[in-house]
Amino acid sequence: MPDAAERLVNLALYLASSRVPVTANECRSAGLGYPDEQDDATFLRMFERDKDALRAAGLVITVDRDDESESYRLDPAATFARPVELTPDELAAVRAVTAALSADPGFPFTDDLALALGKLGTAGVAGPLATADLPNDADDAQPHHARTIAEAVQSRKTLTFGYTNSAGEQKRHTVDPYGIFFREGDWYLIGCDRDLDAVRTYAIGRVADLGVNAERPRTPDFERPADFDVTRHERLPFEYGLEQVAAQVRFEPDVAWRAERLARGRGTLRELADGSALWDVEAGDLGRLATWIVDEGPAIHAVGPPELVYILETGLRAVADTHG
Amino acid sequence: MAKGPDTATRARRLLALLPHLRQNETIPLARLAAAVGCTPAEVASDLTTLTMCGVPPFTPFDMIDLFIEGDSVTVNLEAPGIERPLRLTIAEARALGAALDAAGYAPRSALRQKLFAVAADSVSTDELERTVRAGAAPGGIADLYATLAAAADEHEKVRITYFTGSTGRTSQRVVHPWALVNRLGTWYLIALCEGVGEERVFRLDRIRDARDTGEAFTPPSAVEYAVTPGPERLPVAEIRFAPGAVLPDTRSWPGVVFEASGDGSTIARMPYQTVSWIARRVVARLGEAEALGPAEVRYAVRTLAETLLRHSTDGV
Repeated sequence: MPDAAERLVNLALYLASSRVPVTANECRSAGLGYPDEQDDATFLRMFERDKDALRAAGLVITVDRDDESESYRLDPAATFARPVELTPDELAAVRAVTAALSADPGFPFTDDLALALGKLGTAGVAGPLATADLPNDADDAQPHHARTIAEAVQSRKTLTFGYTNSAGEQKRHTVDPYGIFFREGDWYLIGCDRDLDAVRTYAIGRVADLGVNAERPRTPDFERPADFDVTRHERLPFEYGLEQVAAQVRFEPDVAWRAERLARGRGTLRELADGSALWDVEAGDLGRLATWIVDEGPAIHAVGPPELVYILETGLRAVADTHG
Repeated sequence: MAKGPDTATRARRLLALLPHLRQNETIPLARLAAAVGCTPAEVASDLTTLTMCGVPPFTPFDMIDLFIEGDSVTVNLEAPGIERPLRLTIAEARALGAALDAAGYAPRSALRQKLFAVAADSVSTDELERTVRAGAAPGGIADLYATLAAAADEHEKVRITYFTGSTGRTSQRVVHPWALVNRLGTWYLIALCEGVGEERVFRLDRIRDARDTGEAFTPPSAVEYAVTPGPERLPVAEIRFAPGAVLPDTRSWPGVVFEASGDGSTIARMPYQTVSWIARRVVARLGEAEALGPAEVRYAVRTLAETLLRHSTDGV
């Protein structure tokens, strides 16, 4: 008897090469590998699973129904990809980033990325030298958890997990996952904590004993807010805090070009008459913003509010005095 | 023994292989393995499985016919019905989107739209972009990344405008781009800098622009991917953190070693490449940290703090 993978390939080829829709019973009797001794109910369950597996691989199987039965066919236009034309720079960029990430065990989607490249026809050809080492530590659970959570985000299934916060307190959470993002070596989950009834951000590296609601796997557990956008939650370190304060930071003309890169889409940037860039941004922690200004400098200045300038000046004076 | 993929995953790989098997072609196993993301041994096993597959009535003319010899496979009869690649599934589109995030391609950028056009109709790429973001790179570097990747691929020298964080100076350099390296989400270019005749590491977000020179270079036989020298090759600064201060993590202070003191403070021993770099890290703590030594670091910290203080009211 063929193994299950052979049966799936046979079914795919049968559907792809049939000129007319075929019924489940025609598939069963076509010698694709369904066991002869199976009863009808067992066969139908296996056939449903097989169709799901083929759909997950990218085959679009449509169903024709009449009063008596259902029949199936492959929709070629919806199934097969058209060639993609990339410029030499685009092709080099795709090859570089995918070469780096495909070999990084810290990237959660390596297998899917390899299959995507195979479909695009960009795999298997040597590209520029590139490598990646994304995760913050050797915790190999983080990419695995990130992938599981990303799938739950798409299927809208509720998660349960243990979580250790920055104070070392452990607690179990039930969360409707809305999105995930990566920053500086760590993946983060944004979701609605059902116990708090509030949207929270969790460092995935602190997640343990992760579970996905297995009940009614094809039915979403929740609705994501229609206006949800993960990029709005991808904050800079000084943006975290209970009270948001409007702050202004100035980049001198020589480094004004850095403003867009450092702002990372947060706040608003405008060019001043002298060529410098003024950044209006909300800060939840002015102390951390002051630190950020020094860290990312030189030629970056605090403009306001006065508390920010005061924190910066007081801190600098303390440093100068201590080292005098 | 390593656990193999489940049936559905293996079937995905088998189906992904099919469009690569062209009749009357001899194909290296390594090329097929790279195309579907597995090892040549795994692809050989997959190909053997495919020789058992076909369509009814399963005569020899209805079966995939190929034979493996050495490190390549020759296809006598290809699979009927699946001669072209399948469109991207949601999992594949998500993986590709995350990779493009990492290279700095913003949501709805031209390259993303071009590649996502290959996704299945059921895939909402807009929803993917609003829910998954591997935005490891700062905004605005996608074009730069593509220019450098192409130059590294073609072995072409580029002229870069580079901002050196430790000095605040911007300079023009002609470099031989050898490799692109991502560490914790930040991209670096490893290159030979012609001006100094030595290998240098450049952070991509500090490269203002890069232009092709049209000149070729000979790549080295091997490239070391380290973006910082090993800590054993660097001088060490001793930094005291006040009791209760939040200690820096190893992302921003790579190689740091902490030791608790009896008075509640913490002594950090931090390897550093340049005095100006470590001085800026200390000053940024705004009084929570004191450089105990060496003297050159302590002096640089005071000088930097005084300089920044003079300019701190330099508003609009």
